[in-house]
Amino acid sequence: MKVQVDEARCQGHTLCAMIAPHVFELDDVDGHSSPISADVPAGAEDKVREAAGSCPEQAISIS
Amino acid sequence: MSVDKASSVDDEDRKKNRYHFDRHTPEYREKFESITQDMHARCPIAWSDTYGGHWVAAGASEVFELARSSDKVSNDHDVKGERRGYQGIMIPPQPRAKGSRGGFLEMDPPEQRYYRQALNPYLSPAAINRWIPFIDEVVRACIDEKIESGSIDFVDDLANVVPAVFTLAMMGIPLKNWEIYNEPTHAAVYTPPNSPDIVRVGKLHQAMREDLARQLAEIKANPRPGLVDALARFEIDGEQPPDDELLGVLGLIIGGGFDTTTALTAHALEWLSQHPDERARLSRERDSLLDSATEEFLRFYTPAPGDGRTISQDCEMAGTEFKEGDRLWLSWAMANRDASVFPEPNTIDLARKGNRHYAFGIGIHRCIGSNVARTVFKRMLIQVLDRIPDYHCDPEGAVHYDTIGVIQGMRKLPADFTPGSPLGPGLDETLEVLQRSCDEQRLAEPVTSRKTEARIAR
Ligand code: SF4
Repeated sequence: MKVQVDEARCQGHTLCAMIAPHVFELDDVDGHSSPISADVPAGAEDKVREAAGSCPEQAISIS
Repeated sequence: MSVDKASSVDDEDRKKNRYHFDRHTPEYREKFESITQDMHARCPIAWSDTYGGHWVAAGASEVFELARSSDKVSNDHDVKGERRGYQGIMIPPQPRAKGSRGGFLEMDPPEQRYYRQALNPYLSPAAINRWIPFIDEVVRACIDEKIESGSIDFVDDLANVVPAVFTLAMMGIPLKNWEIYNEPTHAAVYTPPNSPDIVRVGKLHQAMREDLARQLAEIKANPRPGLVDALARFEIDGEQPPDDELLGVLGLIIGGGFDTTTALTAHALEWLSQHPDERARLSRERDSLLDSATEEFLRFYTPAPGDGRTISQDCEMAGTEFKEGDRLWLSWAMANRDASVFPEPNTIDLARKGNRHYAFGIGIHRCIGSNVARTVFKRMLIQVLDRIPDYHCDPEGAVHYDTIGVIQGMRKLPADFTPGSPLGPGLDETLEVLQRSCDEQRLAEPVTSRKTEARIAR
């Protein structure tokens, strides 16, 4: 599974990192999110799906 | 046949979904759930003739589209009539706010973005996490003031104090001044213009604005770290904005930082008192539930229920034809109850998943203090659950705001509990200690210059 955060859409709501802290990291300065790695670690798939469904800006895509 | 007639026929057509919407009446508060359901079913975007006429977006997907179209939807408040005369985010415009812009929430990009970039390093998750020991100590002192007596007013004695003290700390304003800021900030929201108290509240407000102007001047002359300093040094294209613009931004930080977190905390504590089993479960399973419960209280109680906007070009969005200059109310609170996104929207589910709520707004104006609000709320809640776990709120004594048009808040929330022992000094002494920590460790520096957590001596 691959995960992407659309920079132009993300507004730093932080819900993704709250739900899947090992997958998303938040920028220290503005709190915007990026995946630590584009490849979702094995076992984290459900959490990543949940994070994508919880993003208020719908900025997370999974493929 | 005049052109006017033709366009008014057009107007009738594009405004055919009509709803008499007046969020400033007590009736709106009382019937919030049925009005919301009705609007979702019949007119997720409606035209209302109230307050000079404006659109109301109540449906989740409609609010989503409109809030994220900042190219066609403006936040600008053109107080000096230099641009297109837009009225900012208040519907109707607030008499108190005449002549002053509400900071970057009443600006459009790129100006809005420059301000946020200057303030983000003070307010990001990493920046706020450094303050947790400080916040915990203020909460501890508030509870200690009351713990031996077995009774507390959660609004006056806790939920007003912590956000106020912490906001001033981040700004770089002396903590002992918190009372100058506290009452006028809350009272300005809940005191109606025809109240006999309005003169007194106006005076308090004036005293607060004077202190704020004094702090800005002082910090410009003798820099000390904090949000005020960030603004004192702030430039756009090599030029400093005038002081009234900066004071508008500081007013926004205070208005945003105080009443909203108070409102969220009071409502959550009241609900948990009414649902003791859920309270016990939340306390027990906090590692897995605290985050989702916080988001659920945010969704359900949406302290800042919405924002006004102005349409900045003729366009069609969310199935509606808009004209430049139309006013629009984006209801975060009603979008948060949309069953198409939130199953059983009128039920609080502490473990709710997929809770992509709108409580902090969405799009480029997402509440810049969202990380402050979440952190302060959680730290207060945890200590209440740990130290006075059996509290019971007195339903007779709880006072909600009469209307929820501006903030969905509470004025009083008295509670009783089994008394306990204090763990440290009271609030005044604690604030002195914390002031020294702020000064010595320069706690209010942005995260770009100080990464370490606050150390609190006790
Ligand atoms: S939840 Fe969405 S908007 Fe928020 S930080 Fe994550 S990706 Fe960005």
